[in-house]
Amino acid sequence: MNEFNQERPLIMHIDLNSCFATVEQQARPMLRGKPVAIVNRRTDKTAIVTASYEAKAMGVKVGMKLRDAKILCPDIIALESDPSKYRYVYHRLLDIMKDYSAHVTMKSIDEGVIDFHDTSQAIAGRDLVDIGYEIKQRLKDEIGVWMRCNIGISTNRILAKTAAGLHKPDGLDMITSQNIKEVLGSLQLTDLTGIARRNERRLNSVGITTPLQFFDADVPTLRDVVFKSVVGEWWYKRLRGYEVDDVETHIKRVGRQYVLERFDLTYQEITQRLHHLCESVGSRLRSQQRAARGVYVYAKTLDREYWHTSSLSPLPFFSDQAIYAQALQLFQRAPDGLKEIGVHCYELADFEPSQLSLFADDIARERHIAEVIDTLNQRFGERTVHSADTLNTGIYVHTKIPFGSTRYL
Amino acid sequence: MNDETFLNETVEVIALFKAGHHPCQPVRFKRPNGKEVSVTELGLRHPLPNGLKTVHAFDVTDGGTDYRLIFDSERLTWRLTMEADHYE
Repeated sequence: MNEFNQERPLIMHIDLNSCFATVEQQARPMLRGKPVAIVNRRTDKTAIVTASYEAKAMGVKVGMKLRDAKILCPDIIALESDPSKYRYVYHRLLDIMKDYSAHVTMKSIDEGVIDFHDTSQAIAGRDLVDIGYEIKQRLKDEIGVWMRCNIGISTNRILAKTAAGLHKPDGLDMITSQNIKEVLGSLQLTDLTGIARRNERRLNSVGITTPLQFFDADVPTLRDVVFKSVVGEWWYKRLRGYEVDDVETHIKRVGRQYVLERFDLTYQEITQRLHHLCESVGSRLRSQQRAARGVYVYAKTLDREYWHTSSLSPLPFFSDQAIYAQALQLFQRAPDGLKEIGVHCYELADFEPSQLSLFADDIARERHIAEVIDTLNQRFGERTVHSADTLNTGIYVHTKIPFGSTRYL
Repeated sequence: MNDETFLNETVEVIALFKAGHHPCQPVRFKRPNGKEVSVTELGLRHPLPNGLKTVHAFDVTDGGTDYRLIFDSERLTWRLTMEADHYE
């Protein structure tokens, strides 16, 4: 295990460059070559979801407020996100990736991994670099000429992702035993996925300040001193090209949050938006065939205070009404001067009850109603049927693209 | 900032249906005010759910302005729903 994994690199990471901005520039050719920012709401206080490379070159960063971006880049063009467009591109990319292997995992809406182990003979015999260039060309042919992606190839997921980030935009790199030290020598610790400020401080505390020093550290140091857990051993293996991240993740909570469109809303107007979020959470929960036992409600105030509370029930629930009833009760203790609200369901269980209940008839009826409403909304469009209480909230609380999860795409 | 105008105009469209990755391409369209637009590039075509049916959004340009055309494949109608230009 001291040596770098000598097997043929068969993991390919594909990352669309500045995805949403690139898709907008693809769809609207007059935006090409111009600084573009994608936002969820076109107000000065809104945060930038994605910036085009032209905007990034002017110092604009993801998460930056639009008003701050305008100072750096007065000509920046702000566009509201258009989820249907991004979903389409996501599915086209997924289709392309699935042509090469049955083992494709989308990590988010704009990046995915192809595992070429156990692929067909015809594909296995081909050079992965050639396949990488072919995928780049297919993106241009099948979606549009402006589409670009970074591709990284290595023996495990984390090094493939690292390789994909080496030459943005439109790069294609491979990390092997021959160049691992050269690559690590060109990076900062925080360039490694999973090493943010906190882990960087942990590594710094034992004198590890570069990825190369991280690579040279032994298992006892990483396991017993730096990470104080098996995580240290995983990092030792990761940096040597062994796979430790090929694990299936399970959904643990379902939630939504909303930044209030105005900060002078009445309590009733805020609870209507909370109700809207609960309906959205209920729909997502049931789409995953799950029920929940816990509700967690939080709020952020204008004074940057974070308030939260939660409750746990003995029996699982799944209907919008049940979620909202609990959320509303919890929300009564919320402070004044709210800026953002959110609701999560946790302690998830199977939608199908595992044991007989005294209230089986009532639960069956509630389940039937929820299923009919979900079917109607699926068939005729989101929020075709919803409570009268949220009749006026739809123009404010839009569905936005979920980052990090591809479950609802 | 950008200059987007949202519209709902019925337009007459000449479109090319062919084999390949982009089987339908609007080539030219005529707006109710008589203005004719020649499409120089199809930016993106994507489906949009619209109740029971799916309509197709075509983001196109004439080289100076970007447009969005919506094709209802059930009614066989085209609508111009957005134009955006200048970006200054």
